[in-house]
Amino acid sequence: MTDILCFSRNNATTVEQPDEQTMVSSCCLQDTLTDLRLVIHVKTPHLEITNIAGEIRRSSEPEDLRIHETLRKVIGVRVGPGIKKIITGLMGTSAIEKKLVFMIGECCNGIILSFTKQVLLSAPEDKEKERDYFANMVKNSPRLYNSCAALSPESPLMDGIEPP
Amino acid sequence: MLTFSRNKLVSIYRKDDRILLVRGILEDDIYGMEMDISISMPDLEIVSIQGKWTRMENSECPRAVPFLQEAVGFRLLEDGFRQRVKKIVGRKSCRHFANILLECCDAAEDAAEVIRAEGEKEGKGTFTLQNSLEEEKEAVIATGPDKDDLDRSMAKPVKGGSAEGLVIDLHVHTSEASPCSSAPLGDLVTKARRIGLDGICLTDHNHVWDPRTLAELRERHDFLILGGNEIATDQGDMLVFGFDEDINEIMRLDKLKKKVVKTGGFIIAAHPFRGFLTFGIGQLGLTPEKAMERPLFKHVDAVEVLNSKVSDKENRFSSQVAEGLDLPGTGGSDAHEVEEVGVYATRFSGVITNEEELVEALKGGNYSPLAFRAEIGAKE
Ligand SMILES: [Zn+2]
Ligand SMILES: [Zn+2]
Repeated sequence: MTDILCFSRNNATTVEQPDEQTMVSSCCLQDTLTDLRLVIHVKTPHLEITNIAGEIRRSSEPEDLRIHETLRKVIGVRVGPGIKKIITGLMGTSAIEKKLVFMIGECCNGIILSFTKQVLLSAPEDKEKERDYFANMVKNSPRLYNSCAALSPESPLMDGIEPP
Repeated sequence: MLTFSRNKLVSIYRKDDRILLVRGILEDDIYGMEMDISISMPDLEIVSIQGKWTRMENSECPRAVPFLQEAVGFRLLEDGFRQRVKKIVGRKSCRHFANILLECCDAAEDAAEVIRAEGEKEGKGTFTLQNSLEEEKEAVIATGPDKDDLDRSMAKPVKGGSAEGLVIDLHVHTSEASPCSSAPLGDLVTKARRIGLDGICLTDHNHVWDPRTLAELRERHDFLILGGNEIATDQGDMLVFGFDEDINEIMRLDKLKKKVVKTGGFIIAAHPFRGFLTFGIGQLGLTPEKAMERPLFKHVDAVEVLNSKVSDKENRFSSQVAEGLDLPGTGGSDAHEVEEVGVYATRFSGVITNEEELVEALKGGNYSPLAFRAEIGAKE
């Protein structure tokens, strides 16, 4: 028997910076059951959410959806560590709310990654320089130490680094 | 202009009645990865997993791949599944592998639902999904310290420089009441006593310690054990003292403030800039002056300016902000492991023997944060 495709999903997140103070992140989640769009506006330098909009184009959940009001609860929250817990608490945990929380999380993740991208992509390729580069990064942000396999005590990148 | 994009694709095939094959692909400006997972039905257990990099961040990223095996045996519908993936796969392997794995599993849950619905339509008897959309219970199960912990470490306290005041670690998490902590109360007390702290304050996440339990603990351990509460708000985590209401939701900080004022309590903004100056986010141009404008500072009585979970830079920044706002600064370890207790603490002048006196002292303003471990290390 050939394997049958029974479900597919595409989840795309993009981040734009239309001006110095604004970042716009949007998430589009489409799968066999759902088609959801979400966009958040974030203001720098505090990264607080200043605006949010969402649209349910297709959903398997029975909807009585006042998603507009639900979404507005997160205005003022700052993008950063712990935001997922905050927005879950503010928005709720019904099936559709969970999907929306997830998508906001994706948007926020995208914003953080758009910053880390610059740092990570400028890491040198030369082995020794690469080690110095990451060692220095961990010294500046001790929470990164042992935060993944590449930055674990066993990794050559962490040679000679004292656990914080 | 686009500054970042990430695309994730998940395709799910039905191998037979008992196995789903899930293929996930993640592509973004930094990473490229692929993953093949097989998941059994109807229990939705991960039976095998393979992953590979197509583009990575550094030369050591391949180390992440073998650790994916840690996820074998995980059940998608089990309580705490997502947290386990984040904690185990995310930290031992790589958080981006954890991200695509969760995307795959989330889609697999939906796929199982589709299959079930189709089976029903065809009149086949099929398995039922245990309400797959049930929220994971993040509720803190507060069990109170067990007897063994209480009996351990009954040795007499070593007094920690009372001449210079009372040194208390104001931010400590116990495994008894914080799911994220691995530090049993008894061990924390032993360690705190050994390094010469005068007291610790239990600030478990959204947890209220019964004042009677605390009094009993102080007596049993012959050590100053105080109760506080680290409450999650829309404006971040707050250390709250002199407030006994059990809060089980994310509260708006202005609302919390009103409640705390009524009970005569005290609020400290915990690690207000955690993660804010690390990495490229440091390039945001957040100055202490701008940071002072954050609405949260209107509602707090003090700022935690020494916390061991943030970078030195973030601590220094908090200090500048507190100073600029003329708010007192405190120190606490935010220990989640026994070894971390006392890294930072707060030195009080005067006597504190219970929660009321702690709040009085906090309001009095006669205290200062200190890097306690470094200081005793220097003395030795
Ligand atoms: Zn914690
Ligand atoms: Zn904490």
